[in-house]
Amino acid sequence: MTEEMDWIIQSQRGNDEAFAKLVEAYQTPVYNLCYRMLGEAEAAEDAAQESFFRAYQNILRYDPQRSFATWLLSIAAHYCIDCLRRRRFTTLSIDDDDDEHPMELPDQSALNPETEAVRQEEQEQMQKALRTLNATDRAAIILRYWYDFSEVEIAENLSLTVSAVKSRLHRARRELAKRWKEEQPRTRLERRSHESPAF
Amino acid sequence: MNHRPFEDWLLAEEPLTTDQKADLQEHLNSCTTCTALAEVNLALRTRKIAAPAPGFSTRFQSRLAVRRAAQRRRNFWGVLILVGSAVGLFVWMIFPYVQWVLSSPMDVFVTWISTISLVFSSLLAFGKAGSVMLRVASDFIPVYIWVAVFALTGFASLLWVASIRKFAPNFEGVIK
Repeated sequence: MTEEMDWIIQSQRGNDEAFAKLVEAYQTPVYNLCYRMLGEAEAAEDAAQESFFRAYQNILRYDPQRSFATWLLSIAAHYCIDCLRRRRFTTLSIDDDDDEHPMELPDQSALNPETEAVRQEEQEQMQKALRTLNATDRAAIILRYWYDFSEVEIAENLSLTVSAVKSRLHRARRELAKRWKEEQPRTRLERRSHESPAF
Repeated sequence: MNHRPFEDWLLAEEPLTTDQKADLQEHLNSCTTCTALAEVNLALRTRKIAAPAPGFSTRFQSRLAVRRAAQRRRNFWGVLILVGSAVGLFVWMIFPYVQWVLSSPMDVFVTWISTISLVFSSLLAFGKAGSVMLRVASDFIPVYIWVAVFALTGFASLLWVASIRKFAPNFEGVIK
């Protein structure tokens, strides 16, 4: 039995310390998902906390046949989708820039400070572009590219068919590219000739 | 400008041959739409992971403690209100009887005794009537009809249990 499975079983028996270990282990992936979905550090913190609370409440319903990470991220993704749908009716300031940025883990593959700065700028631009997608498309893109989920896993997590996931991913990337082009008409590909190609 | 098949290649994200790569690069030099898509692909692959502020787990424990305390308070007040309402309703319902019992205890005693004797005599009468009916019915109805009735009842019960098991939601399932 893995250490993680031991923590899960202990949590199902009501051991809070074991659940705290799970929180410690999964805080970054869950928080990152919430941050990419909601785009604000404070909202992401609240959403991540709420996701863990929901997992805590429903830990007895977790099926050990499934991956715990997938189950947990599914809870977080659904919660964030609900938040975004509620937010659409309560605020129109979704496109505003926020000054809050969470701590981002250092990129080991960064070659030099200039490359790192360019990547940082691109990440911010990507974050802005992500905000223009609808909640489900955004979740599909994040699960695909930040968590390397397969289309089947995304379909299971978001209660969609595989073909719907494929079509959403294509549509979302077209939309991102449109926003990207609007934001940055000048191509960067030439500047980045030392990096791996985009295709 | 015709983006096919370049846009499809970029969306599919599958490995390209050397010739395809050369064609795509040539197309990208003149097409800003496909260039943007290629850049988005690249940016998505070089994504960064955002981490929470230090102490996330401790903050979770604190929130959990606060929620539990609130839940305990809610449970306490809920039980208190439920019990209070039940007691109040019970007192309100029995109040006229209490008054009646206190005003004339002998009448109440006589009424109870007569009610109890009526119930017993009714039960005896029903029992006698039932045994007569059974005796009469057993003479008229053949055995195989009894067997059929019991078998049909058993089958219907089995069908009911099976349908409940099949269509009832699976409460042990996983949240989808």
